[in-house]
Amino acid sequence: MAKESRGSEQTHKAHRQHKSGASSKKGKKGKNKGGDGSGAAQKKNPKAFAFTSSTKAKKLQSRTAEIEQRRLHIPVMDRSIGEPPPFVVVVQGPPQVGKSLLIKCLVKYYTKHNLPEVRGPITLISGKHRRVQFVECPNDINGMIDAAKIADLALLLIDGSYGFEMETFEFLNIMQVHGFPKVMGVLTHLDGFKDVKKLRKTKQRLKHRFWAEIMHGAKLFYLSGLIHGKYVKREVHNLARFISVIKPAPLTWRMAHPYLLVDRFEDTTPPHRVLTDKKCDRNVILYGYLRGCNMKKGSKVHITGVGDFSLAGMSSLADPCPLPSAAKKRGLRDKEKLFYAPMSGLGDLLYDKDAVYININDHFVQFSKTDGDNGTASLKGKDHDVGQVMVKNLQATKFSIDERLDRSFINIFGRIPPALALNNNDGESDKRQIDIEDQNQGDDQDLSEKKRAVVEYDTDEDSSDNEGMSEKEAGQPHQSYELREKVEIGDGRIRRRAISSNFTDDFEEEEGDESSDDEDERVDNHVQLSDDSYYSEETDKDEDSGDEDVNSSKWKETDKDEDSGDEDVNSSKWKESLIARTLARRGVNLIQLVYGQPVSNQASAVSDSSGSEQSDDEDFFKPKGQANKGIDDKSSFDDINAEDCSKFMKLQLKDWHARDLIESIRDRFVTGDWSKAAKRGQDANDNGEEGDKSDDEGAYDYIEDLETGEVYNGGAGTDSHDEEDKTGADAEADERRRKKLALRAKFDAEFNGSDQSDEEDKETENKSHGDKPKEGGFFDKLKEEMELRKQLNMMELNDMDEETRVEVEGFRTGTYLRLEVHDVPYEMVEYFDPHHPLLVGGIGLGEENVGYMQATVKRHRWHKKVLKTRDPIIVSIGWRRFQTVPIYALEDRNGRHRMLKYTPEHMHCLAMFWGPLAPPKSGVLAVQSLSNNQATFRITATGYVQEFNHATKIMKKIKLVGYPYKIFKKTALIKDMFTSDLEIARFEGAAIRTVSGIRGQVKKAGKANLGNRPKKKGEKKVKEGIARCTFEDKILMNDIVFLRAWTQVEIPQFYNPVTTSLQPRDQSWRGMKTTAELRRENNVPIPYNKDSVYKPIERLPRKFNPLVIPPKLQKELPFKTKPKAPLKKKRPTLDQKRAVIMEPHEKKLLTLVQSLRTLHNEKKRKRELEKEKKRKAHEKEKAKTEEVLKKRRREERKERYRREDKEQRRTRRRIEA
Amino acid sequence: MGKVAYKKLKGSKNLRQRLVLATLAGTPVVVEEIRSEETSPGLRPYEVSLLRLLESISDDCLVEINETGTKLRYKPGVLMGGKRHMHDCGLSRSIGYFLEPLIILGLFGKKPLTIRLKGITNDSKDPSVDTFRTTTLHMLKRFGVPIGDGLDLKIERRGAPPLGGGEILLQIPIVPNTLSAAHWTDEGMVKRIRGIAFSTKVSPQIVNRVIYAARGIFNSFIPDVHIFSDHRTNATGGGSPGYGISLVAETTTGCLISADVAVSDRKADEMEEELDEKPKLTPPEELGEQAASMLLEEIEQGGVVDSTHQGLLFILCALCPPDVSKVRVGKLTPYGMETLRNIRDFLGVTFDIKPDPNSGTVLLKCVGSGIKNLSRKIS
Repeated sequence: MAKESRGSEQTHKAHRQHKSGASSKKGKKGKNKGGDGSGAAQKKNPKAFAFTSSTKAKKLQSRTAEIEQRRLHIPVMDRSIGEPPPFVVVVQGPPQVGKSLLIKCLVKYYTKHNLPEVRGPITLISGKHRRVQFVECPNDINGMIDAAKIADLALLLIDGSYGFEMETFEFLNIMQVHGFPKVMGVLTHLDGFKDVKKLRKTKQRLKHRFWAEIMHGAKLFYLSGLIHGKYVKREVHNLARFISVIKPAPLTWRMAHPYLLVDRFEDTTPPHRVLTDKKCDRNVILYGYLRGCNMKKGSKVHITGVGDFSLAGMSSLADPCPLPSAAKKRGLRDKEKLFYAPMSGLGDLLYDKDAVYININDHFVQFSKTDGDNGTASLKGKDHDVGQVMVKNLQATKFSIDERLDRSFINIFGRIPPALALNNNDGESDKRQIDIEDQNQGDDQDLSEKKRAVVEYDTDEDSSDNEGMSEKEAGQPHQSYELREKVEIGDGRIRRRAISSNFTDDFEEEEGDESSDDEDERVDNHVQLSDDSYYSEETDKDEDSGDEDVNSSKWKETDKDEDSGDEDVNSSKWKESLIARTLARRGVNLIQLVYGQPVSNQASAVSDSSGSEQSDDEDFFKPKGQANKGIDDKSSFDDINAEDCSKFMKLQLKDWHARDLIESIRDRFVTGDWSKAAKRGQDANDNGEEGDKSDDEGAYDYIEDLETGEVYNGGAGTDSHDEEDKTGADAEADERRRKKLALRAKFDAEFNGSDQSDEEDKETENKSHGDKPKEGGFFDKLKEEMELRKQLNMMELNDMDEETRVEVEGFRTGTYLRLEVHDVPYEMVEYFDPHHPLLVGGIGLGEENVGYMQATVKRHRWHKKVLKTRDPIIVSIGWRRFQTVPIYALEDRNGRHRMLKYTPEHMHCLAMFWGPLAPPKSGVLAVQSLSNNQATFRITATGYVQEFNHATKIMKKIKLVGYPYKIFKKTALIKDMFTSDLEIARFEGAAIRTVSGIRGQVKKAGKANLGNRPKKKGEKKVKEGIARCTFEDKILMNDIVFLRAWTQVEIPQFYNPVTTSLQPRDQSWRGMKTTAELRRENNVPIPYNKDSVYKPIERLPRKFNPLVIPPKLQKELPFKTKPKAPLKKKRPTLDQKRAVIMEPHEKKLLTLVQSLRTLHNEKKRKRELEKEKKRKAHEKEKAKTEEVLKKRRREERKERYRREDKEQRRTRRRIEA
Repeated sequence: MGKVAYKKLKGSKNLRQRLVLATLAGTPVVVEEIRSEETSPGLRPYEVSLLRLLESISDDCLVEINETGTKLRYKPGVLMGGKRHMHDCGLSRSIGYFLEPLIILGLFGKKPLTIRLKGITNDSKDPSVDTFRTTTLHMLKRFGVPIGDGLDLKIERRGAPPLGGGEILLQIPIVPNTLSAAHWTDEGMVKRIRGIAFSTKVSPQIVNRVIYAARGIFNSFIPDVHIFSDHRTNATGGGSPGYGISLVAETTTGCLISADVAVSDRKADEMEEELDEKPKLTPPEELGEQAASMLLEEIEQGGVVDSTHQGLLFILCALCPPDVSKVRVGKLTPYGMETLRNIRDFLGVTFDIKPDPNSGTVLLKCVGSGIKNLSRKIS
């Protein structure tokens, strides 16, 4: 304090403002702005800038409201609980732009490791609460589509020295269709600019172009250059910080589907199978973090570029790259900077479900046998290493284990101990064995566990045999063939006899084994339930004696039972009536009781029938139904043909006049004791809020208190006290409630905190537009509801134990999963390329079905051509990519879908196609071909799915043409229009028209008596398809009659999954070809209709016949209009006849004129001749120069072609690189 | 994918649920060995009728039945819904049998469904149409289907077995996207009892006797009992005489617990079996008492729904978005358990089942399958 005061006394140097430079300018600008603002407030006439017209003001207001509304969007519920999966950063850009280098630099930055090569996803820990997974996007369109589907953030690398390339825009488009993740641009290759001004200009230009594509103000990053072959450290650091703050955007499709980006891939096909057949179907294991939503066991998946598979196995593994513990400290320790990239060959330890692999690089130890030497050469230096010798020995084996086992014979006494025998197997086979066992376990777990009890007491010798086998196997449940047979012998009927003393003896023996215990319980229950009378009689008895007492005793008993495996307790207990015991245990494994049933059920059913066949010899000829009746009478529950009736009929009803009965449920009515009823429903109130409104409200009040800053504990205390008083709940329940409240409070605090700024904004806005309605309330409420629901979910799920939780909700997002897929085509393994992201997406219910889909699509404006109906396109919908044949259509005003031959140029249209169904609203991306060497824009159309149908109605126009066959007055028989009378019947009443425009109607099929009769008497057959039509006027025989109608267009049921993962990646996938391609290949010209070809129109001069007025009419005409044509003269007139004799003077004149004309003509001829000569000379000259020019031009062209070729070769090389 | 992979099932057990779930999940099914061991093998007329009903409300669904009717192949199509549907349910099962699947399927159609069903409205085997109107439709409310908004059931004619002649008009809205998960565990206390007693082609006095008897039992529990009477004659009364009662108990938390019984002559096919025995009809007094005790037993069992509606409740829970639904029921009925198994098989939804020792009820929790109304067209 004193120091400070002294400090205040001290005189500081006054602040000197900069008078030049950027900062001074900035200050001035700011000041000016401020001045403007203040000036506005102090303006002389502030009203001058207010609204003058009310309509204008209204308009502006509605506009701002609209903008405000557009900003809002319905919040999406985030159902993920727990640690989120790593954040996927896809690095994309055209070739040679520096993608791998950027990833390497980022990895180096995060982990201080040098990455030799970027292959596959690289997971690393970027912060205390955050993991990042880097993926490099390959440059072919498939890879881009897959990468866009998984990206949480896309880093678009742009070559600054070149500008934008098509790849960037294509990728942007793909992302837009498949849900738009976060995007950040990165400019590289900026060190090529020598001129600073030019650099700045370029940056500016590129930035604005980038903004135009994404949004104004989108982040564009600049990497100025390389230092020692790496990006500048500072810039990478900045970029990393930007990456670390970005939150993933919630995308509808991904929130609804589980998916994983495979970061490890193993082929676990038994090696001998591969040895025998190299092209056999493989078993693969895929590893990756689960994203999107929870994934349940038994769901189907789609592996992109391969196809749909059902999972053979699915298990969660320990996180290979776990987040550091949540201890309070500032940064990450070096130890915690883990990273995981098995495909890049990094990380020496690999964990599997049942094994750990240690990866030792080949150059450290050389184990593999070289071809030349016999293994002795490598042994030279270090032959003393036992392990190595063993490995070498293993390599030298010729036969697989199965073969060896076949050859070997059992040697009872002098044989190798099993452990050693196991050790002899090489690691691979060992693992395989375990795998098989696991698999068996997985498959038959229910079966085996359920049946084990039966099996074990059935066969004692068996177990002794088993002891002779390996230790491991003895520990495992036995699953040999032998055992299964045993299982089938130990059929349901044996187990049915559960109550008999015989069984109980066995039961005692088995008591120690927990699983068998369970099994027995289940059997008991099963028997009880199968008995119809169980519900009616036994329960009645119990309930008569008073519900609560029985219940409590039940629970105590079960507890005891679980605690002690003692024989004594059990023996004492089983002496009680078995029914009571089963009743007591009913609750313990209700889940098992419900879900464990079917397997045994079927088995018992089967055995039932077989048993009946075997046993009843005497009534061999009994009718089938009756024979079964005796057995099935009791067990309608097992009956696979049981009656389907939701009503549960009780045979006997209680007498509700009895006083004690009435008392027993007295408290279930409002007239009863409320406090007792509350006690009964207490548990429900504990967990469920919905019912108890007052409780909820109390909680809310209490939270509000928290907001205002009241003490947390005090509030909770009083609350809980009240609660205690009211219900008298025990401490445990109270604690739980408190925990819940705390949780909610925490959430609310967070919730409000995050939205605080938003709300404040809104408030200020509200102030500014005084009368604006508050629409934030709805959204807040919605958000709050969602968050409440999430908390509720979390609470309910956390109550369960791990196993049931996985069973109920599936694996949570963020777990590291191991998916086992069987029978994958061998090509997938063969051509597996870690550079291409492999995506495994879960298939929702009903999405594996195939049907017609209707999508709205629009041709991409950068695609050069319009799309043609029935030309195959490759579409990417959901996870899938497939080739299909669409039919384009437009919806008419009357709701009819009219086929289009081509897509409209700048408009949306409907596309109908056949394929695996995707839910409405999922994006559709169409590509014409997947080849890389296309210079232009590769995306042809985009859109979204509108609905799916199984039947589609697309219509097109059809014109039926017919010709008159016979014409009556206004009726005509028309032929060739229809082919049968049946067809005519369908078109009765249809409007028709002749070419000349006479309208008419189809009446009926022409009958025989109407001229449509056989020409000869012997000919019986009346010609079919002749229609009687009427017209508004008589038509001519040479008229053509048209009928215009609509016909349905069939949509080809074709789709072809794109299987790019099953072929070398550099090959382009070939699907169905378009007609144009086929024509080009086979040199087939486009077919055309000769009649449709345009020909020059020849119009002959029309010749009109002279007008003849009948003499009768002529007579009646007035004189004025009567034709007054003179009569034809027979003799020549005088003019024509006379001769001309010239005067001498005239003759002289004529000769003179004649001679002058000759002279002129002669002169003209000479001139023409001269002209011709000149022209020829000129032409000669011209030809000469032309020759020279031609030569020069040819040389020029040659030069140009050479240059272009060189350039092309360079670009190709770059693409290849 | 090319070939359709059929899910194989055996027996006619729970055929309705299996068909409903197969339709919603889009799974083609083959059901084999349908009563293959019985004297009269194959599908029953009512099952065939149900299949025809499914065909009529969906588009491009495939139903194949082999000659003996012991094998059924069903490939679901797209649920269309729509107006002016009509279906004759036949006389072998009552309309209640058809209503149960219909109300679930109707929710997930392309358009709201309006359908007129003809047949038997009340019998003792299936829940009566009154119970549907008063109880079942209100259950949907809990799952986010707005009631009153196109959700309606009108009883235009009543029909008792054996001749039927009843007619109802059912309207079901579609869910815009998904249902909403329910957290429905508080059963509350019974605050009132309502009911409807009907009679067709018998003396109207019978209804009063039924009501009187039922009230007699309830009197010792609660005074707020009101049972309506519905006496039908002529055409609105259907073809044959009968009477019955449907009771609903409403709790303080809005749970509805129902019970119903009906009495009439035996159905035609049942008569064949026991020709010589002239079936004795329950007298009205006994019927009333029976219904009342059934309701009381349902109340005693606890749970937010009665035993009849357990299956429906579980299916609705399983159809919710992937949130946790939690419900409380009384004892699990065999039908309910079968439902749970079918749900697991078709939708992959497993329930966490925990008994509540305090009240002798069972708490079930599940995470919904997240089924969306996919057939709906978006614009």
